[in-house]
Amino acid sequence: MANLLWLQGGACSGNTMSFLNAEEPSAVDLVTDFGINVLWHPSLGMELGDNLQKLLRACVSGEIALDIFAFEGTVVNAPNGTGDWNRFAGRPMKEWVRELANVAQFVVALGDCATWGGIPATAPNPTESQGLQFLKRERGGFLGPDFTAKSGLPVINIPGCPAHPDWITQILVAVATGNAGEITLDEFQRPKTFFTSFTQTGCTRNMHFAYKVSATEFGQRKGCLFYDLGCRGPMTHSPCNRILWNRQSSKTRAGMPCLGCTEPEFPFFDLEPGTVFKTQTVMGVPKDLPAGVDQAGYIKLTGAAKAAAPAWAEEDIFVV
Amino acid sequence: MATGGAKREDHARLLQEIAQMLEDGLETQTEPFPETAQEFARILDELRALDPDDVKGRLVIAGFLNHPYGPDGQRCQECIYYLVHRRWCDLPELSLPVEPEWWCRLWKI
Ligand code: SF4
Ligand code: SF4
Ligand code: SF4
Repeated sequence: MANLLWLQGGACSGNTMSFLNAEEPSAVDLVTDFGINVLWHPSLGMELGDNLQKLLRACVSGEIALDIFAFEGTVVNAPNGTGDWNRFAGRPMKEWVRELANVAQFVVALGDCATWGGIPATAPNPTESQGLQFLKRERGGFLGPDFTAKSGLPVINIPGCPAHPDWITQILVAVATGNAGEITLDEFQRPKTFFTSFTQTGCTRNMHFAYKVSATEFGQRKGCLFYDLGCRGPMTHSPCNRILWNRQSSKTRAGMPCLGCTEPEFPFFDLEPGTVFKTQTVMGVPKDLPAGVDQAGYIKLTGAAKAAAPAWAEEDIFVV
Repeated sequence: MATGGAKREDHARLLQEIAQMLEDGLETQTEPFPETAQEFARILDELRALDPDDVKGRLVIAGFLNHPYGPDGQRCQECIYYLVHRRWCDLPELSLPVEPEWWCRLWKI
């Protein structure tokens, strides 16, 4: 039996929605098959008011063992570092976060807001938001760069806006069933099992990427979304085309560019007008090239690929 | 309904008309080259404001040339909007038949 406590800071509830939609395993499977005891969750918890405060205090004191502390949303520090803009159970949420993180065996940050600050921490960051152990690319965040939970692991970051349902439940199960030792983390503390390959890995548009045939409008079935519509698939670490959304599809399969939501800089370019859904170019060459590709190589590759492109690459090949 | 053959004839006729305009020395706005996505977007806005049948207007605003441009020899052939087999510029705001050796300032790689 592993006790799970889930709290929510500066957030839209997107990761809660994701969690409740999980299928493999589902939120119910977590309880019935994997021995997770949900102490409290914003959408599932029964306790209110004094009873909730009592429960949280019992976790902090050690009276109730806190195995997994899951946090969704940013840590809000405004105004002036007090955290009063996000009060919860009688005090600023950030105070609960600090105390609960210190007693938990594992701390799991769910979604971009909890991992790196996400959209709330975008300039000018009026809520003075931070992620648990990062602020964008910078290590540190609210808990500081040296924080480790009682298990010895730092915060386990499961980014995404929101995170995919199965990324959340599979990591919770691994931790709850004593398999945390098998979770290896990358430099941004993301489980490598999900965040080593790219969004592009498994994308149905890879042939169009290779032959440099561009989609020029959302939803077009022909063409790759990198060249004109700003797809970040070739430089975003995510399994979105391996572990499909709703077991059916992905953004890029549906003709919508990847926004790079699993990377610390998301949203890119601070959402300045004209930067979303548009490939940013300097003198006609993309600013951000596929991971590991340099500009000279890219230009040469484009010339060769276009010269070799077969006629079918210019047609809609999906006939059903 | 237009048959494939009729479409091909239309394509060839339009290509010929455009080639002739460029051959005759049509003055087009080859500069400034849009250095950023924002400048690029402004040219697209100008194109969208045109009458859909105004081919000459599109050529002028996009800065068409019937030869490669600049020290790197930029041309449609390598441009991301060029469909090699259809000899077609697939940028929705242009949507015109073009030759691989041509160029316009919306060139992107
Ligand atoms: S649509 Fe995006 S993910 Fe798919 S092949 Fe193109 S760049 Fe890659
Ligand atoms: S496709 Fe890209 S933007 Fe969409 S969920 Fe995956 S990583 Fe995030
Ligand atoms: S955008 Fe300009 S350079 Fe590119 S294919 Fe079209 S006409 Fe040619």
